Amino acid sequence: MLATPYVKFDYEKVYEPAEDSFLLLDSLEKDQSYLAKRFHDQLAVVCELGPGSGIVTTFMMQNKMPSQNAIYFALDINPWAIQATEDTAKRNDCDRIYLEPIQSNLTSSLRHSEVDVLLFNPPYVPAETIPDIPETKDDIDTWLDLALVGGENGMKITQLVLDNLNSTLTANGVAYILFCARNKPEEIVKSMTSLWNIELVEHRKAGWEVLSVYRFSRKTI
Amino acid sequence: MKFLTTNFLKCSVQSCDTSNDNFPLAYDGSKCQLEQDESIEFNPEFLVNVLDRVEWPAVLQVASDLGNTSLPPNKPVFEDNNALTEDDMAILRDLHTLLIQTSIVEGEMKCKNCGHTYYIKNSIPNLLLPPHLV
Repeated sequence: MLATPYVKFDYEKVYEPAEDSFLLLDSLEKDQSYLAKRFHDQLAVVCELGPGSGIVTTFMMQNKMPSQNAIYFALDINPWAIQATEDTAKRNDCDRIYLEPIQSNLTSSLRHSEVDVLLFNPPYVPAETIPDIPETKDDIDTWLDLALVGGENGMKITQLVLDNLNSTLTANGVAYILFCARNKPEEIVKSMTSLWNIELVEHRKAGWEVLSVYRFSRKTI
Repeated sequence: MKFLTTNFLKCSVQSCDTSNDNFPLAYDGSKCQLEQDESIEFNPEFLVNVLDRVEWPAVLQVASDLGNTSLPPNKPVFEDNNALTEDDMAILRDLHTLLIQTSIVEGEMKCKNCGHTYYIKNSIPNLLLPPHLV
């Protein structure tokens, strides 16, 4: 079993790693050799959306996933998450690896068709509304809310990412996305199977939530 | 922000996606403060793979924005990646210095299509848009 990165930050400002984060780590660990085979030694661009504490990106860097020829982008709207991700990478001796934290709203700032491995533990909690992006760094309650709430069915943000998946990923690219049962992932999978291979990598009951991680890749390369 | 990252960033404005001018962003050389960050070691194999992937005209463009016009007009190619010559290694070392070690710590860049300006502060690029442009 691979070690979990050591994380320490102010959890009033960024999402504290929890069951969902660990399920994503377990899914990536399970797929370690799958990813190594898929990308061999070619340069792989790994991009995590909403890294929060940075635990997932750091885990990828620590374990040289998919290979040692990888560069890592960590995109978050929350300036505290950018800071936490840098901090977690350093704390786990990953400062000799190519990591670029970028303040960005999802993938809007990335050139199309450049991401080989997309990682996303989204704000998936159903809520009536999603707050606007705060104007100041000090509005920590709102920053934290943005890490959690996902609007109707908790799918508003995830759906944006799924809608753009085709223009985000390289031809050989894969995406790992986490869902909770209230996101109705089975229905989403069904609606996307004509173009995408979608595999359930891990699922787990966590308290009153049932969480799952799906892997998306193109049907034809 | 490392130089190589400029090869992946475009304007965040959605309507600019239909334009060819949203990438690369135009970096303001007079306002960009550069530093050499040597924490990542030179690794020729990694660099050959990076080079495989980069959009060379965009490298030339950004290098020239930042005042470096000494790069070859065509992307360097290596005949045999398993037997790199001394000359190859010298080229790769220079590219390591440029792409991986050169970091923009403070600066600004603009979309050539819509003119929106983005900033880099404390080495972090901020590609968020103000609400009226989202």
